[in-house]
Formats: sequence, structure tokens, C-alpha cells
Amino acid sequence: MNWPTIKLIFRRELRDQLRDRRTLFTVAIMPMLLYPLMGMAMMQVAQFMRESPSRVWIVGEEKLPASPPLIVGGKFNSTFGETESQLIELIGSSAGDGHFESLVKSATSDSDDSSSVEEIIRQEMQKRKMDLAIFIPNQIQIPEHSGPDTATEGQLSTPASATQVFVLTDSAIDKSRIASERVNRILNEWSKEFSKETLVANEIPTSMIQGVVFTTGDVANKTGKQAAAWSKILPFIIMIWSLTGAFYPAIDLCAGEKERGTFETLLSSPAARSEIAFGKLLTVMTFSMATSFLNLLSMGFTGIFVLTKLGAGMGAGGPLPIGIPPLASLGWLLLALIPISALFSAVALAAAAFARSSKEGQYYLVPLLMISMPLMMIPMLPAAELDFGTSLIPVSGLMLLLRSLIEANYTDCLKFAVPVCAINLACCWLAVRWVIHQFNSETVLFRASERFGIGAWLKHIMRERRSLPSLGSAILCGVVILVAKFFIGFAVTAPQNFGQFALQTVIILVATIFIPSVMMALFLTRNPKKSLRLNGCKLTMAAAAILAAIFLNPAFTWLTGLIMHIYPPSGDMLMLQEAVSRILGSAPGLWAIILIFALAPAVFEEIAFRGFILSGFQSIKGKWKPILLTSLMFGLAHGIIQQTMITFVVGLVLGLIAIQTKSILPCILFHLTHNSLAVLLSQANRTVVEQSPVLRQYLYSTDGQNYQYATFPAILMSFVGVMLIIWFLQLDTKPSNRSEAYGRVPHPN
Amino acid sequence: MIHVRNLQKTYKDIQSGQFTALAGISFDAMPGQIYGLLGPNGAGKTTALRILSTVLKPSGGSAVVNGFNVIDQPEQVRRQIGFVSCNTAIYDRMTSWELVQYFGQLYGMPLDRLHSKMNALFERFQMNEIRDVLCSKMSTGMKQKVSIVRAMIHNPPVLIFDEATSGLDILVAREVLKTVEQLRDQGKCIVFSSHIMSEVKRLCDRVAIMNRGVILAEGTPTYLAEKHQENDMEELFYQLISRSEAQLESNKNAEVPPHNLTLPLAN
Repeated sequence: MNWPTIKLIFRRELRDQLRDRRTLFTVAIMPMLLYPLMGMAMMQVAQFMRESPSRVWIVGEEKLPASPPLIVGGKFNSTFGETESQLIELIGSSAGDGHFESLVKSATSDSDDSSSVEEIIRQEMQKRKMDLAIFIPNQIQIPEHSGPDTATEGQLSTPASATQVFVLTDSAIDKSRIASERVNRILNEWSKEFSKETLVANEIPTSMIQGVVFTTGDVANKTGKQAAAWSKILPFIIMIWSLTGAFYPAIDLCAGEKERGTFETLLSSPAARSEIAFGKLLTVMTFSMATSFLNLLSMGFTGIFVLTKLGAGMGAGGPLPIGIPPLASLGWLLLALIPISALFSAVALAAAAFARSSKEGQYYLVPLLMISMPLMMIPMLPAAELDFGTSLIPVSGLMLLLRSLIEANYTDCLKFAVPVCAINLACCWLAVRWVIHQFNSETVLFRASERFGIGAWLKHIMRERRSLPSLGSAILCGVVILVAKFFIGFAVTAPQNFGQFALQTVIILVATIFIPSVMMALFLTRNPKKSLRLNGCKLTMAAAAILAAIFLNPAFTWLTGLIMHIYPPSGDMLMLQEAVSRILGSAPGLWAIILIFALAPAVFEEIAFRGFILSGFQSIKGKWKPILLTSLMFGLAHGIIQQTMITFVVGLVLGLIAIQTKSILPCILFHLTHNSLAVLLSQANRTVVEQSPVLRQYLYSTDGQNYQYATFPAILMSFVGVMLIIWFLQLDTKPSNRSEAYGRVPHPN
Repeated sequence: MIHVRNLQKTYKDIQSGQFTALAGISFDAMPGQIYGLLGPNGAGKTTALRILSTVLKPSGGSAVVNGFNVIDQPEQVRRQIGFVSCNTAIYDRMTSWELVQYFGQLYGMPLDRLHSKMNALFERFQMNEIRDVLCSKMSTGMKQKVSIVRAMIHNPPVLIFDEATSGLDILVAREVLKTVEQLRDQGKCIVFSSHIMSEVKRLCDRVAIMNRGVILAEGTPTYLAEKHQENDMEELFYQLISRSEAQLESNKNAEVPPHNLTLPLAN
């Protein structure tokens, strides 16, 4: 790649975008106007909300005790809540509306039944005549002490002497909810005072009702509290704006250029496709960063101003517990803006490169946002924290890392910075590769709008079937397996015994792995047998596969231990393991466990992964890329992160054997042996090992339960295992006619 | 200068499965010569020119431009050509000066040499008045002038004009044609596609008449007139296309693939 050319393209695209009024408006003008306007609106609304009084109707005001006085001069007694009493307008009281007074009189004179008053209240509330009603059915007076309480158990919640007051609200109406909050504060204070006066009247010291005093304290300093508050908000804001800021320039630079016809001119210039892609990426990144930064700046200033004003206006409530973000957090944000913008710019550019018009490009914005939003929301959850699992999630990991940096949790940051950066860089790299691929793809550059119909599409699929699966079919099969496994997880219930467990395991394997791959081989390829690699193999190959599984088992066991040590299993996983062990205890015999844990997965998973999916990935040139991709999918299908890592490595060996032997039979044998040994090792106990002179040499245990391979035999066996892999590697794999198999037109060269 | 042999191009089509845009065309274009590709819409002219400019890859055959193969040496080929398309294809938010300078820099020209070349071209095409005008504010004719200067800035030995006069008024079209003639006189090899007969007759030293991805007739305009005993170029074009369509229709009924088309060219 020629950097001066990339710089040239970047500068031109940048200038071009800066001359576009729409882009300038979105990037610079909008943030400067949006937040101040929103802030003004918020202040207006807040002002309106503060000034809006709650209308409260008290039915039976005359039944209130004279002391402590709840109502003074037609308003709630300000002693029980100064601010609240000012914000409540009493109607139906002596100072209220005559209409309510007459309603109360008619209701109380007609009948003594309180339900008629409640009915009137309900009707009046529905007519929005009031926000809240207080109904006092009986006279409230200070009770006199009359000896020990004779109430039986179960009646304690409503003692005979308790006076009931009904507070009626309509929770469907916001104003009613606000009124409820205000009134409850006053009533609580009044009730406390009433209780005190009751105690005094009965000559009981008020200290008698003092229970346990809880004193709360907050050890966080002011900066820490502010950092914690901002650490959740700021990463989300910069993520949203860097994506938005990236998308519109990306559409203009790719789809827009195709539309205007300038792309063809650029492609016929000496600039390489990769140089064009990188030049455009740098431009989109610049705009993404600028949008994010300016939004942050404008929002920060407006936010601080509004919060200060609102806080001052709260009076008793004091300023809100969120202040100016700590300086360090702003520094981390600016630093994090670079990888965040790079990732979103690359993804946006990839989506835009696929679009043939600006309009089509905008359609892709919605799914991109739909995918990105949950990833951005995960770190906002209170329980979400940076660990190895979350660090592997693109976007979320980056956001959590940023959160930890703002919270000054540098230990976690150092621990997980590498996987976070690696996974996001990998996504970025894939997106850029995709863009370059799109720039090279004629169908994307010059495709016209085609009439799309299901019938025509199905006919097209059937007509275009190749002998072996295509790359797209392989990816589709992998995705179907992952999605099916995800959904079936909701459907299954916890098995109660081994029979249920075995049936469930087999059904899941067949439904989610075997059926999708076989159906795809039947319908999407012309040669299902070859696609599933259902070929025979030499006896030596089969024997070598079994031996390789045996000899490599110590290495895999050691790897499993290492992974479990670095990433210890979670509590849920341990509980699951325990539950499985319990169920295995009810198995009819070791043969049944091997059947379910070794044979079934070996057959079904090999048909899907080393059969259909690997055949599809083999349309990519080379041996290792298809193996790597298949193993990745094989690992992901296992769900639990530790298992994913282990099966990924096992998948590499299986993939190699499949390609070298051109058959899944040795793979099934390897898989069967590998899983069987794992089962046997887990079931090994002191009696069995001690009785066997061979096992005594190879296995040892510190607790008499969990057996491991002894070091020296393990090294020796691993060496033999590696030799066997080398033997597989040297097998003559005559290149088959790839063009014919994958349906490619031979290149003119 | 340009040697095209059995050039083929097929596209995948969801409706019909495969669409043949070029069914194996061959021709040679020499320096100091204007080679005309003549054909109705969908004849395959633009596909052929896009392959020559390395924007598309051929499905079969070969094309060599000034000694460089379009498949193996696309970057070198791109340095040998200047491409002018029918839709002007210039950046609206750049001035004519900025645009030409940008492409000159993409071709790796040093700034001093680039500026002197730009000054000469702007003078020659009377574009100094519009050098600081944004392309979006220009008329179609002006835009096409900028496009031609952009294609010529690196002094390529081969110039490709894809229906370059399409949509231009007669005055501007004449100016473009005059420029093309001047370029030919400078020894450039020019491939010029059009469906306007008068232009082709006036300009082209050799002509290939195309329809549905095949060359129906090829030679100098005089040779074609003599061979088909038809002096009127438009009439000759009409007859060849009509016969080709009729032949295709009968082949279709007999289920013969279109690339097996044979035509009785001589009367």
C-alpha cells in the first residue's frame, strides 16, 4: 500500500465532506444547537412541573383530631412538609370548592355506608376533577391505653383500635402519582406526630418506641461518585454518536459515489482498492470522532449548566449528585474515541460499500443500530463487569474497558485490555477486508435493481447448486446451528434422570446439528455424499486417528486444566457440572455414558462440522483457513467459553485429519476416542486405578478422586501424538479439481 | 496498442441464471487511430471498455493495453489509459482545478510538472474562467470538458471514450469530437464507443459493429460500405442489427445458445 495515495484520497474525501452542508450540519451544527435547545426545553418542563399544584380532596376533614393539626387555614400544615404543602391545593375542604362539599354532604347524609363516598371519589377522579382523594370514614382520636392487646395472631395487621384513612390515587395518571408522593410525605410526618401525642397522652415515654437505629454512610469520595455516575453515561453517548457520525459520511463516500458515477473513475485510476478503502476509512473515522467529540462537548456544557440550575432551584433537595466529570475520565474518553470510531467507521463503511444507492445505504442503518444497541446496552446493566467473557464481546468489551478506566479500576483494565483490543481490532480488520472485497466485487459495483421473488430465488439456488457447498452455505449452516442451539436452550427443561438426559442430548444433537447440515447438503449441493465427506478410508488412517486421540489426550487434558485455571468456571457452570454428575450416577452403565457423551456427538458433530461446513469453507484457498474457520464455529457451538476454547483446539486437529484423509470416518473415530477417554478419566476411581498395573503408571491423584496423567508419560504420549499428526500431514492429498467441484469458471490464465 | 482476443464476459442473473454481455470479441486498435465501437444499447460496448479500463474482470479471453495484460497487470494498464464516460463522473464539491490536480496526484505526477500541464490544458480548453468554479455549478458541457482534461492529465497513450457525447448539445459535442481528432493526430490510440452514426463515420478509422455481445462486422468505414454495398452508415447498421436479431430469434426457437450465433455478413 502506498501511504501518500491513501493520504491524498483521505484529504480529498475530507474536503469533499466538509463542503457538504448536510454533513457539516450533522457533525458540527446539530450538536451545538441540539443540546442547548434540549436543555432549555428541559428547564421549561421542570419549571412547569414545579409550578403545577396537586389537587387533593379530603372527605371527612371534620373527623381529623384537633391536635396535631393536619390542615391549617385551608392548606396542609407546613410543619409536616413546607415545600409539599405549598404544592398542594385542597379542594372540598372548608377552603375548597362548594361542589365537592355538597357531594360529601349528600353522600354522608344519604347513607352511612362508606362505599358510596368511595364511588363518588372514583367517579370524580375519572372526570379528572382531582389528583388524589383522602377519605376519613371515622373520627380520629387519640386512643386511651386499655391493658394488654387481646388480638389473636393473624389479626395483628389491623388492631381493633387502629383508625383507617384511605388515600385514593390513580396510578395511570402521572399527576396523581406526583400528588401521592407529596401527600404521603406529609401524612407520614403527621402520623409520626400523632403517634407521639398518643404516647404522651397515655403517659408512655416516646423513647419506648425507639428500635434499632440504622445509620448509613458513603465511603466514596466526591470524585469517585462523579466518576461512577459518568462511567455509565459517557461511554454510551460516545458510542452512539461515533456510530451515527460514521454512517452518513460512509454512505456518501461509497453508495453516494456509486450513484454519482464517480466511483468508476476512481477505480480506473492507479489507486489500489485497498488504498481507496483506507483513504475512505480515515475520512469516515475523522467525522465519527468529530461528531462524537462535539456532541460530548456540547452535551457536557449544557448538562452541567442545566443540572446546576435545576439543582439550585430544588432548594431543600440541594444540587443533584452528578457534577462535572473528572478530568481523567475525559482523557480516557478521548483516547478510547480512536478505537471506537475505527470500529464503527469500518463497520459503517462495510455496510455502505454493499449498498448501491444512498437510499439503500440508509436501510442498512436500522439493522446496524439494532445489532449495536444491545451491545452498547449490556455494559449499562448494573451487574455487567469486565471479565474474560465480556471482554470477548465486540463493542461491549470496549465499553466496559472504558468504564473501568473512568472508574480508575486499572487492574481489570490491564488484565483484559489485550482481549478487548484484539477482538475489536479483529472486527475492524474484517470490516476493512469486507470493504476491499466489496470494491473488487463487480456485482456490488455495477449491479442493477433486480426484481426479487421467492420462486425465482429458489430456482436460482437450485440452478446454481455446486457439487460441494459454497462458502455462504457453510456460514449459513454454522449460523443455523448456533441459533437453533440458542433457542432450543429455552425449550428444554432440567432432566430428572439419565434416561431423560440421554434423550434430550440426542434430540438436541439431531435437531440442531445433524438435520440442518444434512438438509443443506441435500438441497444446496449436487453431491451430498461428497459434501458430507462420507468417503471410506484406509485402515491405517482409521487406526492412526484412534491412536492420535489416545496419545494426544494428555496434552488436551493439560490444556483443559490450564484453561480452567486461567478462567475458572462460574458458579452456574459448577452447579451444572454437579447436576450432570448426579444424573450420570443413575446411568445404567459406563457404556451408556460413552454412548451419549462420545458416540452421539462424534457422529452428528463430525457430519456437520468436518462434513458440510469444512467442505464449504474449503472453497477458500489453502488448507489452514478452512480448518481455522470450521474450528472457530465448532468451538462457538459449544456455548460455554472454556469449552469453546478447548473444542477450538480439538477442532484444529479434527479439521486437519478430515482434509488429509478426505473422509469423516477417521474424524468420528478420533472424536469418539477423545470423548470416551475424557469420560473414562472423569469416572476413574481409586479402586480401578490401583488394581490396574498399567493405569498405576500413567495416572495419579492427589485426592483419590480426580485423576490426572503423570508428567513423564504425558510428555512421551504427546510426542507420539504429534508424530502421528505429522504422519497425517505428509499424506498425499492430490488437489482435486477445485474449479469443477466448486463450480468456478476456470480463470483465463 | 490494444489487442483484444476472444474477450468474454458473463454476469450471474437471478432470473435467467446467466447473462452473456460479451460472447468472445476480438479487435486491434493502433496508435494514431480512432477505433469505434458501434452498437445499440446493451450491445456490450460499455462492458468491453470497462474491461479495458480494468474496472471489470473478463470471464474469458484476453486484452492487452500498450503491452500490459488487463488481468495480470491491472495497475500498469490503469496508468496507460484515460477513461471518459458518458455521465461526466466528476466530483460536484470540487472545483475543476482541484479535481484535475487530484487525479494528477493519483497518477503520481510531481506538483510542478502537474501544474504546468494543467495550465496548458486549461488554456487549450479555455477553462481558465471555470477553474475555481465548483463542478456542481457547471453545465454538462463544461463538466465533460473537465472530465476530458482529467483523463488527459497524465498524458496516457490510450484514451477510452464511452459515449462521451451522449447528452451534450451540438456545439459542445463538436468540441469534444474535435478534441478527439486532435488527440488522434498526436498519436494517441483512441477507443470511442457511440451509437451516433454520423460521429462514427466522421471520426473513426476502424469500426466494429456490435450487438448482444458479438461483433457483427469490423473494418474501416469504406471497407464496410463496399463489403455490404451500403454507403449509408446508418442503413448498414440497421440492416446488420435487424438480421442479427432475426437470426437470434430463429436460434432461440431452435434452442441454440446465443454465443453460437453466425451471421451471413455479405450479401
